Amino acid sequence: MRELRFHRDLYAGEQVDAALKVYERFGTFTTSEEGEHFVVRVESKSAARERRLAGELANYALGLTIRGRGAT
Amino acid sequence: MTQRFAGVPDVLAHADLDDSSAELTVDSTLYSLESVYGASFTFIDRCFVFLDRPAEGQLRVTLAAKKSATQDELRGFVGEFANELLACAWREKITAENRGAIEAVTMQALAGAMGPPSLDELEDFDFSEEPFEDPLGIAMSWEEKYGKDKAKRKQGEGPEAAAPEPAEEEA
Repeated sequence: MRELRFHRDLYAGEQVDAALKVYERFGTFTTSEEGEHFVVRVESKSAARERRLAGELANYALGLTIRGRGAT
Repeated sequence: MTQRFAGVPDVLAHADLDDSSAELTVDSTLYSLESVYGASFTFIDRCFVFLDRPAEGQLRVTLAAKKSATQDELRGFVGEFANELLACAWREKITAENRGAIEAVTMQALAGAMGPPSLDELEDFDFSEEPFEDPLGIAMSWEEKYGKDKAKRKQGEGPEAAAPEPAEEEA
């Protein structure tokens, strides 16, 4: 199991949700909120797959957040 | 296994070879969040990029290689990221300083792209409105106001007749 902690100041909550929707068919996600973070726990068939799934999810959420802010 | 990069303080950047990832800490009072986003975006094709804020005034960037990476490769990522971050911060500063000029040029380009007005637009245009009122005749030319022809015509009638006479509008 891998845990991703998305800081509220750095990631838009709706973009994290959108990224979760895209990748939900590749694994199991458990979400919660802890203080300043949206916490996502990622589970999949193997550790390597979990690493990749968590990484792709983080990249997608970051990309959507950046696009939403009009940066770059 | 956490490893230091040669020549880089551990508090600024270090590598985790087991996870093929590197972490670097950015001072957010020196680099804006937009610059960090910009630099991060250029890495998402090679790395899994993750941002966090461990403390006020700090941003932590985790660059995890998509494929297994050596310490030298991770050090390369950290160095490239630092350079890209500096470039983004510099571009942001230039953009802020030249915003007025950029907007003016863009407006001119858009206005030019729109082309000349169509016949329909010209048909709808209201030409009936007077340009402005000029009760003192300030906007009139010398010829309009005093008339060369009138002056020549009256030359023979006496020296006082050659003097310019006021325009009819003023009379």
